[in-house]
Amino acid sequence: MTANAEELELKDRLSLIETMIAEGRRTTESYGWTFVLWGVAYYVAIAWSSLCKYGLAWPITMISACVLMALIVWLRQSKCGYKPKTTKYRAISAAWISMAISMFVLLDALGFSGKLADERIFVAVAATLVGTANATSSIILKWKLQFACAVVWWAAAVISCFGTGRQGSIAFLIAIFLCQIVFGVYLMIREANARRQGANHA
Amino acid sequence: MPELPELNPVIHGKLRLALLSLLAGVEEAEFTWLRAKTGSTDGNLGAQLAKLEEAGYVTVEKKFVQRKPQTLYRMTEAGRAAFLEYVQALKQMLGGSIGD
Repeated sequence: MTANAEELELKDRLSLIETMIAEGRRTTESYGWTFVLWGVAYYVAIAWSSLCKYGLAWPITMISACVLMALIVWLRQSKCGYKPKTTKYRAISAAWISMAISMFVLLDALGFSGKLADERIFVAVAATLVGTANATSSIILKWKLQFACAVVWWAAAVISCFGTGRQGSIAFLIAIFLCQIVFGVYLMIREANARRQGANHA
Repeated sequence: MPELPELNPVIHGKLRLALLSLLAGVEEAEFTWLRAKTGSTDGNLGAQLAKLEEAGYVTVEKKFVQRKPQTLYRMTEAGRAAFLEYVQALKQMLGGSIGD
């Protein structure tokens, strides 16, 4: 084998390594719909609790959203087949699951113990926790746009502490719209483009 | 240029290299997923995975999920070290013609 042929073969091996590593990682990226789902769930819970003054509106909506998300994940896995998990995926999942459990436990404990009379405390706690999960995820992914979402959530938390109840609620609604609905739709478009490009390259 | 035999012969095989590269990017992978990604036949894939297992580079776990058999492969620490060593050797052999 000539030196040139050897070099070509080695370059071919290196290219194979890069392609296969990217292929393994490419299959696990699909989070956009979860942002939209939770954004809609927050709006439903806010509307239900404000209009009907029903104390269990939030826990019921959040549990329903969890069940719906689990169902969608199960259906997607059944349809698309087995997909391996990356360490990055596990780290990001851990951040969001921990945030969800913390929020559920803390807000329910505050609510049922009667210490959540001021809605501004609710907004401050919820926005801070969601901001934390966004920041953790953005640091893992090295993604400035998601960190900007975390900043928006933290800003909503600060506004709810210093502003009136109405100002806090408006800040919360804006944060949900920007960081859940708009960000989620943007992510879904990005994922769809990536899938299309992947299909074209296949 | 150094000779090819300096590269780890267990890893250098094209399909085995593809398998280790796939496993390097994920925590674990199922047999059917590896087959789909590499476009290999069951027999060839099984034989190459057996060689990697024999070398201690991958571990295999067989289980049932929703009553369906599932064979999962995971890269070992030794496998990861050997894979990194192989990539470094490859880059050294190619010299300055590639970037990191």
